[in-house]
Amino acid sequence: MKTKNYLILCAAVALTTSMSILFMPGLSDTVETRMLSWLGNNARAEQPY
Amino acid sequence: MKKIALQILGIIILIPAVGMATLRVENQNADGPSILFPGGEMTTGRLHTGPEPDWSFTDDIQLVELQLNDPMASRLIYVLEADGRLFIISGYMTTMLGRLWKEWAFEADEGNNEGVLRVDDVRYPRTLVRVEEGDILDGVAAKLITKYGGAPNASPEAIARTRAGIEAGNSWVFELIPR
Repeated sequence: MKTKNYLILCAAVALTTSMSILFMPGLSDTVETRMLSWLGNNARAEQPY
Repeated sequence: MKKIALQILGIIILIPAVGMATLRVENQNADGPSILFPGGEMTTGRLHTGPEPDWSFTDDIQLVELQLNDPMASRLIYVLEADGRLFIISGYMTTMLGRLWKEWAFEADEGNNEGVLRVDDVRYPRTLVRVEEGDILDGVAAKLITKYGGAPNASPEAIARTRAGIEAGNSWVFELIPR
């Protein structure tokens, strides 16, 4: 893919991602919950604060 | 072929990065923090007036919401009661992670220390005062070890070690004083 087309694709993907999170009901909560779950599984707590 | 792989990798990195940035911006003006992202001004909840409560009830609460007024932002934070006084603690303060992650603590230490604590839907106007020395740190250290460290009780050695970390500036302790 040519660089110009790739950058247009990146912009479109970014815009779609942002708009989906902002305007699709419940999506932001789902994304945050999944992210938290992932962090909880992968982070190693050396200090509890 | 290598170029296509890099382009696909770029998209794979872009989506979560944009997602996180969007969630952070979305939460900036929310009434309080989310689990991962700071929030805005806390406007709901009864405003506390009158005498101070018995803060020992916070022993059963893992996280409280703390707002600092300048810059206006709120976050979830651990809370410690010791000797009837209320404290919060901020770790990693001598690391680069601490400098990036705990900006609020530096702001509070520099004097932008007025804020609001919200516990159980009650808002308590507070001033944050950093405690760097004194025997109260023994009580704070003991509570930290038992409440968040998972130990059934705090040995004198563990308390001394934790207190030394606080006095060395590795962790900053703030007392939440009514204002």
